[in-house]
Amino acid sequence: MPADPSMKILIVDDMVTMRRIVKNVLKQLGFSNIDEAENGQDGLQKLKSSKYDFVVSDWNMPVMTGIDMLRAIRADEQLKAIPVLMVTAEAQQKNLVEAVQAGVSNYIVKPFTAETMQEKLAKIFK
Amino acid sequence: MKKGGHKLYKELGDLARFVENAMKAISNAGPQLISSSQQLPTASSHLSDLNKMTEEGTLEVMRLTELIQDEHSHVGKELRAVIEVLQTMDCSKLAERLESINTLVGQEGKYLTEIMTALSFQDLVAQRVKKLVSILDEVQHKLMELVVVFGLQENGEKVVIEGTAGHLLKQLEESKTTAMKQKVADDILAQFGFK
Repeated sequence: MPADPSMKILIVDDMVTMRRIVKNVLKQLGFSNIDEAENGQDGLQKLKSSKYDFVVSDWNMPVMTGIDMLRAIRADEQLKAIPVLMVTAEAQQKNLVEAVQAGVSNYIVKPFTAETMQEKLAKIFK
Repeated sequence: MKKGGHKLYKELGDLARFVENAMKAISNAGPQLISSSQQLPTASSHLSDLNKMTEEGTLEVMRLTELIQDEHSHVGKELRAVIEVLQTMDCSKLAERLESINTLVGQEGKYLTEIMTALSFQDLVAQRVKKLVSILDEVQHKLMELVVVFGLQENGEKVVIEGTAGHLLKQLEESKTTAMKQKVADDILAQFGFK
């Protein structure tokens, strides 16, 4: 099933510049229902208080990392089905394997292009 | 036995002189050590300022890029509307020319998106700068400990040293040679059944 342009997306990143880039790229790809969180804990709270269809998260964040948030999402009955895309500078193979084992839906290495984001969305929502 | 004792006595004497010379050398370097340890917080502060400056610059480029993107979107819609009117008026030549202009506008929109994604350099730089600041903090703590241990500073408080600098340096070094490209990430994802 292709991605619904009206789906509600949560971007989780401690860097305001990265949140804005991801938001801009998603907007160019036709998605406009986008919310933001500054770290994993903030993201988890938002996910529990409102319904989201898709999460784009960084790895390295203060308070709660992206990988810890991912594990918390997968351990939560209400949230575990939400697709989570990690967009991260953690470009070591062990990080990717760790993310896959934690249940990531796909993984983008920074810096990335709009085409890469589009391709990953197509794979997640095929 | 007497000869052996004399040799041992000489060895101990040499060792004592070596330790004394080393202590003198460290004592002479004291002011430099103190000065360096005092300068490091300033260096860290400069690095943190770099992060703020690149963030501010990046946000301004983003703001302007988004303004142009919005205008491009508006121009595209207007051109589309004019083309449709021209087509109903049987002005196909003019409609075709406007169509090609609209295609160029669309292409420029892609370039603007590329400008936005290229700005992710700021995030990568900021992460590295944060690690460097942590390393500098660690070095400063170690220098302070040297100053205190060798009595180069009176009434110096004992400094708690955390072993993060080596770990962070290792991370920085590793990322130079083993950073993963998207292609490699995709290959690994494929092995886990991501098609």
